[in-house]
Amino acid sequence: MESNPIPELLPGTLYLLILRTLSGGPLHGYAIVKRIKDASRDGLRIEDGSLYPALNRMLVKGWLTSEWGVSENNRKARFYKLTPEGRKQLDQEAGEFDRLVRAIQLVMRTA
Amino acid sequence: MAFWNEIGNRLAYLFRRSRFDREFEEETRFHIQVRADELQQAGLAGADALRQARREFGSTLRSREEARSAWQMRWLEDLGSDLRYAARALRRNRALTLAAVGSLALGIGANTTIFSVAREALFSEPTCRDARSLVQISVGGNSWIPMSQVRFLEDAHAFDGVAGMNIQLVVNWRDGNRSYRLAGTRVTGNFFELVGIPVAMGRPIERGESDVAVITHGFWTRHLGGDPNVVGRTLALDGKPYTIVGVLPRDHRMLAGFGFTPDLYLTKDPIEVMLYARLPRGMTRQAAYTRLQPICREMDRVYPDVNRKWAKEVRLSAVGGVERLQEGGQEAIPLAAFFVMLVVVTAIVVLIACANVSSLLLARAFTRSREFAIRMSLGGSRGRLVRQLLAESLLLALLGTGAGLLLNLWLTRLLSGVHIPTPLPIELLIQPDRMLLAYSVALTFMVTLATGLVPALKGTRAGIGGALKEGGRETGAAGYTLRNALVVGQLAVSILLLSAGLLFLRNLMYATSFNAGFDTSHTVVSTFQTVWGTYTPREFAGLVDTALERLRALPSVEAASPASAVPLNPFLAFSRPGGQFRPDAGSRTVRVQYNFNAVGPDYFRIMGIPILQGRAFADSDRIGAPQVVILNESLARRLFGNTNPVGHILRFPNNRDARVVGIARNCKYVTLGEESAMALYEPHAQQNYAAFVHFFVRTRGAPETMVRQVDETLAGVDPAAAVETHSMNEIFTGALLPSRVGAAILGSMALFGLLLASIGLYGVLLYATQQRTREIGIRVALGATPGDVLTMVVGQSLRLVTVGMVIGVAVAAAAVRPLSMFLVPEVRPADPMNFVAVACALAVVAALATVAPTARALRVDPAVALRHE
Repeated sequence: MESNPIPELLPGTLYLLILRTLSGGPLHGYAIVKRIKDASRDGLRIEDGSLYPALNRMLVKGWLTSEWGVSENNRKARFYKLTPEGRKQLDQEAGEFDRLVRAIQLVMRTA
Repeated sequence: MAFWNEIGNRLAYLFRRSRFDREFEEETRFHIQVRADELQQAGLAGADALRQARREFGSTLRSREEARSAWQMRWLEDLGSDLRYAARALRRNRALTLAAVGSLALGIGANTTIFSVAREALFSEPTCRDARSLVQISVGGNSWIPMSQVRFLEDAHAFDGVAGMNIQLVVNWRDGNRSYRLAGTRVTGNFFELVGIPVAMGRPIERGESDVAVITHGFWTRHLGGDPNVVGRTLALDGKPYTIVGVLPRDHRMLAGFGFTPDLYLTKDPIEVMLYARLPRGMTRQAAYTRLQPICREMDRVYPDVNRKWAKEVRLSAVGGVERLQEGGQEAIPLAAFFVMLVVVTAIVVLIACANVSSLLLARAFTRSREFAIRMSLGGSRGRLVRQLLAESLLLALLGTGAGLLLNLWLTRLLSGVHIPTPLPIELLIQPDRMLLAYSVALTFMVTLATGLVPALKGTRAGIGGALKEGGRETGAAGYTLRNALVVGQLAVSILLLSAGLLFLRNLMYATSFNAGFDTSHTVVSTFQTVWGTYTPREFAGLVDTALERLRALPSVEAASPASAVPLNPFLAFSRPGGQFRPDAGSRTVRVQYNFNAVGPDYFRIMGIPILQGRAFADSDRIGAPQVVILNESLARRLFGNTNPVGHILRFPNNRDARVVGIARNCKYVTLGEESAMALYEPHAQQNYAAFVHFFVRTRGAPETMVRQVDETLAGVDPAAAVETHSMNEIFTGALLPSRVGAAILGSMALFGLLLASIGLYGVLLYATQQRTREIGIRVALGATPGDVLTMVVGQSLRLVTVGMVIGVAVAAAAVRPLSMFLVPEVRPADPMNFVAVACALAVVAALATVAPTARALRVDPAVALRHE
């Protein structure tokens, strides 16, 4: 474990990950963290402490809306949902991210 | 878009801050609980699982602060507390605040009022349905279109209809046994429907109707007592009964703009109209033009006219805004320039007021510089301090603008009630609107920066080191120079204002006591209009003779004469014919344009216009007798050079010949501003008038006492005729109106500006004296005489005033030059006497402002002063 720590997120990718995770449907905060952790096969872990500020910033920007509902184990939970603007933002950021990664890979392979 | 959404979201947050905290807590509790459940399933004991989950989450407090800051608008909340702080500071200095707000309010009130008036008079939208698809059509370079051409355009069906109006109708309204002249606007039957003009009562004029009228709100209240049953009533107009079918709302604005408001609209076939077309939905004006062009070429084929080509200069113009102003042409441009000048002048006053406020704030900022230094040394940012100081000037600007807007509302309400009785009366209906609001917001912003920016930047620049060292002498000196500069600027600008004000004042003085080339002190003028079609020209000439006989029979009447025009009245103006004239009926042609008046034999005597050569007209100059003319000096010189033209023949452009029998001295005809304009007189009895004439009556006593008698005498000649009688002086009021308004506004603004500048000078001198109390004390202790102290204070005042004056005169000399367009030629903007007078006035005021500070300096007691610090 010590020799292979969980890598830090690239700056700005937190929004992208949350947007992508929510594109399947509304989730509460804990489910978002868990979904990202599982999807990356434990390769990425969102700090609990930075998740909620990020969600709030996205609410301000109008990418998400939130709503109180009932969780799978019958507790009152706050669910976050993508807005049309959020979806647009996801498309845009995902495209940019793809281009960035491809460019970096090109450099890594050839240079 | 996204930006505004974000602002909206943040603003919404401001109202649910407490809910945010509650929800955040609940959300984190849920998060930790779920995690704990999971850990418990993995085998951890209940309490351990919860502790572990809490540890993983980290500080909920920090997380909440971070989440909350996502919503906050730091600057807005800061602004709120800055404004509260500023309000406290202003309340503590009540006198200072009142003076600052008051002077800003007066300047802003005057400025916005002129803005409102100009906006209403020049740019208001007319009352109609969808003004954007309505256009005014001009063909052949003329906006007046004969009815046959109108019908042609109508039949061409190029647009969704065309309709016309003619604003130039004076109708006689017989009410009881008196007749009045009314301003009627003739419209085609479809006019109301096509333009879409709403009525307040009854209904509009409908297609195919005749002998009906729609009256305006003003006429209804002024002349019909606001009778609620007025619809259906008949008015005897020009001898025919017209039924009132509707009353227009109070806020009706005519298509012609400029505040013109007729008494009524009526169906009466006009000969020519201003033509309006409704464009089909979606048709651009360019497309409409392309469609109109071939129709006009066709019109040229059907109605060939040597004098004009219909297809030339075809124009479609908007019915509101700047374009209508351009259509207004000759008259509209000086009017717009006049308003621009007034806006500039009042803006300058606002600027002077700003300089005073700025100077005060600067002084305050420097007295607080030690406090600022301490705050900065404790880690306060300079930007924050600047913002706090700006909040103070923002508050002053808001209060000043607010009070100024109240003044604006009051003044515009006052002006809205004014009814200017021109032939087409002018009534402005000024209401506050979004443009005024936007203008005021911009003004507030500018005043804030103008008053606050320099004090805020300079006051906080000292830095930590300098200011903490004993009182900050250096910064004091810097502020001092700045305030001196402000005062110099104020004085200079006051010179500019005073120069402009003085020019208009002299213009007014000249105009009131003017020498227009004729005598107005004993003249009564009566305008006499019979119902059209009542008389043949021959019968009308007989009627005029009867009227003259009866007038001359009145006891205190010296002489009476008919005339076709009244000088110096822009609304009963001279016709201005012209063309190629042949002196002595020879081959040489001279192109001239002149003011024409047809007058009786006694006209020159009544007006006191000397006949320099030859004779005046005689009773024998009638129809049938040889045609004669009298020229004024300018026209005589133009046509005949230096030879004496009396006895010579003049051939008119239409090959009519007339003999010159006399030369009249030049006088003013249309405006006081004209210089040696040309004029030609013909005998009234040789014309073919049939309905309209002015009577000039010279009285022995004061003309005002004769007005009623003359009026009744003329009304007795034909009871159906509308008669309006005034003393000549009264009639000239119209000619003097622009100079009166200009002198009143500019004069008061100049005086106000001077007052503000002198307050500024006083403030700076007083401040300087206070600052130098210790220095003066030492000097006196070391043997300085009161004379030395006097020299010191007065010397400073003198330096400031001199520099201000030199700059001011230099600027004013250039800046007042364009004002000549508003002035009579005898008042020259470049006249050095103006500047001498202005400089003297300023010197006197400056001396007064220096008295109190000097007295204070002289009273300085060295024993007290040395203990001052």
